[in-house]
Amino acid sequence: MDLLTSLKISASGLQAQKKRMEAINSNIANAQVTRTAEGGAYRPKEVVFGSEPARDSFAEILEGEMDEKAQTVHVTEVESSNRPPVLKYEPNHPDADEKGYVAYPDINVMVEMANMISASRSYEANITALNTTKQMAMKDLEIGR
Amino acid sequence: MNVDDTTLRALAASLKFRQMRQEVINSNIANAETPGYKSKSVEFEAALARAVDVDHDGVMTAEDEKHYKLHTGGFSSLEPEIVESSNGVVSDDGNTVDMENEMASMAENKVMYDASVQLLNKKLALMKYAIINEK
Repeated sequence: MDLLTSLKISASGLQAQKKRMEAINSNIANAQVTRTAEGGAYRPKEVVFGSEPARDSFAEILEGEMDEKAQTVHVTEVESSNRPPVLKYEPNHPDADEKGYVAYPDINVMVEMANMISASRSYEANITALNTTKQMAMKDLEIGR
Repeated sequence: MNVDDTTLRALAASLKFRQMRQEVINSNIANAETPGYKSKSVEFEAALARAVDVDHDGVMTAEDEKHYKLHTGGFSSLEPEIVESSNGVVSDDGNTVDMENEMASMAENKVMYDASVQLLNKKLALMKYAIINEK
């Protein structure tokens, strides 16, 4: 129950949104990729968020009720989506199969852009929370001056 | 002058609870997109008002000395309540964080925190004045 833990929580939010942004950027950049190290078309990445208690040490957990309540956020998994690739008829493409179809990743760039805006807004909200907490901590230093 | 007076204790309690509230709000904002996360809030105003109740308006009188006295203005047992509070907003993944509401609560919390610090400083200045100007 202190402002430093609050800062930690906001920082975890920033980190999680940044990872989400990385995945989105990767999806946009690789939207047309038909050849990957694993073989086949690029598979879109999806991040999964999970929360966990903000405190981890034993002494901190002894502090009481707050421990269960204030929670940090983490990216628990970056999954490669199992969405089947989209087949396009391009017989002259080097990656075309015997029937002339090329497998492209099923990425809708518009959807990725919308996700990116959402991630950006969440990042900003966490920044605002962080700044507010910082100002409160600075105000503490004025007590008794 | 009593150094351990109600104003100081009430302000200290208020600062402590507002720090808690800030932590819970930060947790809500960070988890605004975590599936299944339930929005939480810290409730302390009513409990603090009872503790500060110096005039004992809300005191229940006890006939027998074995009866518990309620609302007698104790700060020691003062604990905020942390409750799951949804504003009626539930998204498909079970998340109940209302981002606008959280940002508004945070702004309010900050203003009230600053006010408490300012009041605390005034109170301390007053005590200092009383100490220094004794002639």
